[in-house]
Amino acid sequence: MTPENLLNIAILITLLPLLSFLINIFFGKKLGKVSSYIGTTIMGIDLILAVTVFVSKVFNTWSEYLVQNADKSLTYLASDAMVQLKYNWFSFGRLNVQVGIGIDNLAAIMLVVVTLISFLVHLFSTEYMAGDKRFPRFYAYLGIFTFSMLGIVIANNFLFMYSFWELVGLSSYLLIGFWYEKDSASNAAKKAFLTNRIGDLGFFSGIMILFFTYGTFMYDEIFGKMATGLIPFDSGTMLTVAGILVFMGAVGKSAQFPLHVWLPDAMEGPTPVSALIHAATMVAAGVYLVAKVFPMLTADALLVVAYTGAITAFIAATIALTQNDFKKVLAYSTVSQLGYMIMSIGVGSYMTGFFHLLTHAWFKAALFLGSGSVIHQMHHSAHHFHDHHTDPQDIRNMGGLRKTMPWTYATFLFATMAISGVPLTSGFLSKDGILAGTMAFGNLTGHWLIPIIGFSAAAMTAFYMFRLTIVSFHGDFKTKIAEHTSENKFVIVFPLVLLVVLSLWFWYSPNPFDANAGWFAHKLAAPKTAVPANLQWDFLLTEEQKTAYAEKTSKAAEAKANIKEALPATAEGTELHKEAVAPEANQGAKEAAATESKAVGELGHQENDLAKASEHKAEEVKTEAHTTETAAVKEEHKTGEAAVAAHGATTHEAGNAHAEAGTHGGGHYVNKFAEEMHHFHVPAMILSLIIAGCGIGFSFLMYQFKLFNPDALANSLRPLYNLSYNKWYFDEIYQATIIAFTVGFGKVLAIFDNKVIDGIVNLTGWFTKLVGHITAIFDNVVIDGLVNLLAKVTSLFGAMIRKVQTGRVQSYVAFVIIAIIMLVYFLK
Amino acid sequence: MNLVDIVFYFFAVIIVASAAVVVLSKNIMYSAFSLLFTFFGVAGIYVLLNADFIAVTQLMIYIGGILVLIIFGVMLTTKITGLEMKTGITGKAQYAIGGLSTLVLGGTLIYVFNSTSWFKSPSVPTTSTVEAIGASLLTNYLLPFEAASVLLLLAMIGAALIARRK
Amino acid sequence: MNPEQLKILGSSFLGDLLKSVNLFYPETALVVTFLLAILVDLFTRNRPSCKMSGYVSLIGFFVTAIFLCNSPQGMSFAGTYAVDAFSIFFKWIVLITSFVIIVFSFFSKELFGEERQMGEYYTLIVGMTFGMFLLSGATNLILIYLAIETMSMSSYILAGYTKEIKRASEASLKYVIYGATSSGIMIYGISLLFGLTGSLNLSGINAYLAGNNVNHITLLISGIMIIAGIGYKISAVPFHFWTPDVYEGAPVTITAYLSVASKAAGFAILIRLLNSAFTIHAAGDTINTAWSVMKNVDWTMIIAVLSVLSMTLGNFVAVWQTNVKRLLAYSSIAHAGYILMGVAVMNYTGVSAIMIYLAIYMFMNLGAFFVVMIIANHIDSEDLEDYQGIGYRSPWLGVAMTIFMVSLTGLPPTAGFIGKLYVFTAVLNSGMYWLAVIGVLNSVVSLYYYVKVFRNMFLRGAEKANQPIELSLTVKVILIALIIPNIALGIWFGGLVNWANASAAMILK
Repeated sequence: MTPENLLNIAILITLLPLLSFLINIFFGKKLGKVSSYIGTTIMGIDLILAVTVFVSKVFNTWSEYLVQNADKSLTYLASDAMVQLKYNWFSFGRLNVQVGIGIDNLAAIMLVVVTLISFLVHLFSTEYMAGDKRFPRFYAYLGIFTFSMLGIVIANNFLFMYSFWELVGLSSYLLIGFWYEKDSASNAAKKAFLTNRIGDLGFFSGIMILFFTYGTFMYDEIFGKMATGLIPFDSGTMLTVAGILVFMGAVGKSAQFPLHVWLPDAMEGPTPVSALIHAATMVAAGVYLVAKVFPMLTADALLVVAYTGAITAFIAATIALTQNDFKKVLAYSTVSQLGYMIMSIGVGSYMTGFFHLLTHAWFKAALFLGSGSVIHQMHHSAHHFHDHHTDPQDIRNMGGLRKTMPWTYATFLFATMAISGVPLTSGFLSKDGILAGTMAFGNLTGHWLIPIIGFSAAAMTAFYMFRLTIVSFHGDFKTKIAEHTSENKFVIVFPLVLLVVLSLWFWYSPNPFDANAGWFAHKLAAPKTAVPANLQWDFLLTEEQKTAYAEKTSKAAEAKANIKEALPATAEGTELHKEAVAPEANQGAKEAAATESKAVGELGHQENDLAKASEHKAEEVKTEAHTTETAAVKEEHKTGEAAVAAHGATTHEAGNAHAEAGTHGGGHYVNKFAEEMHHFHVPAMILSLIIAGCGIGFSFLMYQFKLFNPDALANSLRPLYNLSYNKWYFDEIYQATIIAFTVGFGKVLAIFDNKVIDGIVNLTGWFTKLVGHITAIFDNVVIDGLVNLLAKVTSLFGAMIRKVQTGRVQSYVAFVIIAIIMLVYFLK
Repeated sequence: MNLVDIVFYFFAVIIVASAAVVVLSKNIMYSAFSLLFTFFGVAGIYVLLNADFIAVTQLMIYIGGILVLIIFGVMLTTKITGLEMKTGITGKAQYAIGGLSTLVLGGTLIYVFNSTSWFKSPSVPTTSTVEAIGASLLTNYLLPFEAASVLLLLAMIGAALIARRK
Repeated sequence: MNPEQLKILGSSFLGDLLKSVNLFYPETALVVTFLLAILVDLFTRNRPSCKMSGYVSLIGFFVTAIFLCNSPQGMSFAGTYAVDAFSIFFKWIVLITSFVIIVFSFFSKELFGEERQMGEYYTLIVGMTFGMFLLSGATNLILIYLAIETMSMSSYILAGYTKEIKRASEASLKYVIYGATSSGIMIYGISLLFGLTGSLNLSGINAYLAGNNVNHITLLISGIMIIAGIGYKISAVPFHFWTPDVYEGAPVTITAYLSVASKAAGFAILIRLLNSAFTIHAAGDTINTAWSVMKNVDWTMIIAVLSVLSMTLGNFVAVWQTNVKRLLAYSSIAHAGYILMGVAVMNYTGVSAIMIYLAIYMFMNLGAFFVVMIIANHIDSEDLEDYQGIGYRSPWLGVAMTIFMVSLTGLPPTAGFIGKLYVFTAVLNSGMYWLAVIGVLNSVVSLYYYVKVFRNMFLRGAEKANQPIELSLTVKVILIALIIPNIALGIWFGGLVNWANASAAMILK
């Protein structure tokens, strides 16, 4: 496949869901039920295309390739790192704004994730949403959502990324608030929208900083220029700030602490939407963004990223322990797992973070769709009994579903095992990688808190997920509603089975205990960082980058030394010059003025010449120093450029090296971090196995075998339990602080308005009265006259303007003549 | 003051005076008839300028055609509708504004005419201009000439359209 | 002239004529269409409201477009007519507008409501298109005058086409008288200019002005008089007086036509006159070179004054209008002011900005008038008060009108923003900050009355939602076809900008 074809298909993949949207929004009413078939078929085609792109991008080599069309507005570039198209959108003065799309391995994988989940959700919804009065509208929204999500994936510049980012925000708003008749749904939609805006504000500011520094929106150009040492405002801090601002976008969209509050509420949307938005796509967009901008994150920014992820993972996991709503548990689990991914990328373990995104997408979608399957049945059943009081989503009302819904149970159980990190699942592979990464990071930097949080979150995850499974599926029926349920139709079960099959280990690695043995690790090595070495974690730099940096520093030092050397010479020159010129010339002048002029004058001249020569010499020395300096700088630049070239082209090689290092267990590592990660692979695996086992075992003991009474435990840990059950009081805190502050501020303004402004107004009134009294006579005589005059003039003017457009053509003609005369006299 | 000047002023007085009657007369019939003298005077000036073709055209088309049409139109309309064709009385302000702007514009133009060094074309022998005009119309001015034909056709269509009852 | 001289003249002209005919295909196609439309009308006379000659005109426009695509460039007809990239750009605007207007007319209840002979309508539109084509390329003062007359003659009659409506015939009569005066003034100016320079071709005038000493005041007066004639076509203040009355009285389609096509043609000739006749051209002129004006006549100031007057009066009076057509009339005066800013810059950047602006203005103004027409078809009113609740009665019309209004205001992401952006940038680049400031302030004022339309449609009269206005599929398709360029050109304007930049230069000889 040529790069052009690949990109054209990618564009087609993105546009097809838009087509689905257009068809369903315009003809939805006429189509009715057919709209779902159209939507699903289009997504099916989209999926096939996405798989084609994925296979040809990831499993082929792309030699260097460049095509420009005649007027150079369109450029195709290809390397193994990224196949991309750049389009000169417009130029404005010196600024040439480019846009375009690009497919790297990350995007190719993400394309499959998005289209597959979207396809399954489309399929699932044909049954789940059947009978809804806005059925076609739902498919239209799914279409626009998928379109905007794919737009994020294929963007190769911040401009597109941001546009589609906002579009995702909008379409998720529509989907979450799909049942807008419910207050809770429309509130949740608003909350999601507004919370996301906070993050986007940061994202936008970050993009603006980058754009003003680099004059472009393209990722590769920004990173390339950054690698040559150009950073915003020449300040490492500003680079960190820019990175954190961009990361804020991810914080909003991926529901990271402290902006995570919207995601659990968003469960008010239809369940398939939860699967689409909150499992695989929209929330993953944040992680995807962090992965894309990984090369520009400084050490400090990465640390912020890592801690944000870790805190989120921990808080969300603790909340999930005590929730009773089926979907809320899954929601918090999602937040927690997203924290994991963010944390992983933050500690520099780029591959495992994205790997977890991929594996998590499958099993979390399976879990959500499984929950949809359960809730769908519970609803039907409750409807059957005319029971509108029992909450069909509350797990305490379920129990025993294993018997009535065997397929759903089996798939759900397997997905639970995957998320808990049981061997032979994909979840085990990715989670293990992340934990090894955090341990390596802890060892290298001393931030041991991160791996500790990672492991404790893993334990909690295993616990609450099995709690959820056991309480809802095992045991006896707790209500007759649960008893009346039955297995769903094929279109609902099929996506579950497919997703679970995708959660097996062999898709990713032949060795169920080592992800590095698989294709994934080969194809998705961390890109080289573009940040100047002094702002970067030392251990993330490759050997060549380190040497390049060392050379650069020594060159700079040399140049400095040269300048220093030159300085004394210059000073000497200046002094000589002074000595020669000032006194001698003075003296010469004096003497010449006194008596004998010529000889002495000549002497003076000679001396002068000598001084000039020495001055000249000094200047030469100076120039030389300058040349050396310039050469050094130039060389520095060259190295930088080489780094850029290397940056894009050698990602693939780096990946290979990384993989080799991983599989052969030793030898040459890309960087120190890779080496450490390798060392920690086995300990992390063993530890995580033990911890997951503990969590699972504890869960079984408590809920299956009832060895401990959960309520008693809850009682004994009442404050902690309350903290968890009430979601750490985040909503209350926000209510009490930010929202209350805003409202309070408004009130203060109102008071200010009432007291101060009114006071001033009253004072003014009083003062005016006083002045009015004093000037009453003056007023009556002069001011009145003036005011009347003014009013007369104004009304005359108004009448004139009105009279101008009289409707009488004679006067129009007269006005034209007058206008011409006036123009002539005005301009002569 | 030679003979040419005397003839020029003679025609000029006719033009200005009759044009004033056209504008100022309240009876449209009078206006139409005075227009006859205006056209005639202009034709006289053309003759003075050796513009024989245009002078004849002026007489034949404007006086022989257009003016007769106008007079017929006015008379017939009066007969059919029984309406007395008179213009409305204009106010003093209008007279003042009109008079002032005419004075200023006229003064400016007179000043300009006197102070400008006009383009002087090389003197041409005083033979008939018809041949040269014909040649020009079919060579250098072919496009304007053809464009004028489209213009006239359009005008005819428009006139027919307006005249049509429905 | 003896026969020998005639022969030489004839043979030298024959080569030029053959070359000229090649350059003249689009116009020829228009004249043929014009005649065909008359003929077809004769055969379908006894069937009123027959659209046959309308279809013939559309086909004719299409053929013209094909010729226009492949048009070579050069000077033709003994230097009276220039076929260059500049004129071709304007011809496209004129042609597209004419095409769209005929399509609009098919939907007009105003025109088809009564049993009416419609043959002449299309004929006159084709004739007017021909006039505007000539105007965009004319380089000879006589031809300029004739082209303006051709245009005007058709528009007088078209404006009063619904002659049984008093408002329309009154507007038409006013238009005739006003137009006659304007063209009288213009031809007076032309004769003064001829008297000064002894040439009617713009290049000849330019050469004479460059080489000889002419009287400054006389040149100024003749220039202002000619500009008065053109200014009436582009409805620039203070030559705009006919605009509100005629726009209000004429059928909506014709109002739209006058506001777009004849304005574009007027600007074409204004720019060409200033550039070809009154400025010095050096060999190394680039797109950024400022034109150097001859004889110290401050054309920049004249145009800038007209621009400021047009913008300000147009916007401030539009604020008070209650009739949407009249509102759009004043808005079009204001837009003429914005475009005149680009003329005042007097360099090719300004010219290209004007071309961008006009191309975009075409789409937004046509769209707005189309919506006005469709609404008038349904509610028989053009009153702003009666627009209340339209957004609920027909979301299609409401949304479309909103987009056009936003575009006319010049807010992103619509095309109108791009048009304003380029004009303002050109003005700022030339250092006329005061003019740009006035322009921006005026844009702010314009927001007020555009929003008024939007407000009435959506924020008032929600209770009328139960009287929906049903639109036919074709109307919806046309609406979409008009919305698309208004959005798309706000996003992908690179192509338009490149085209305009490439078309800004004119042939001068």
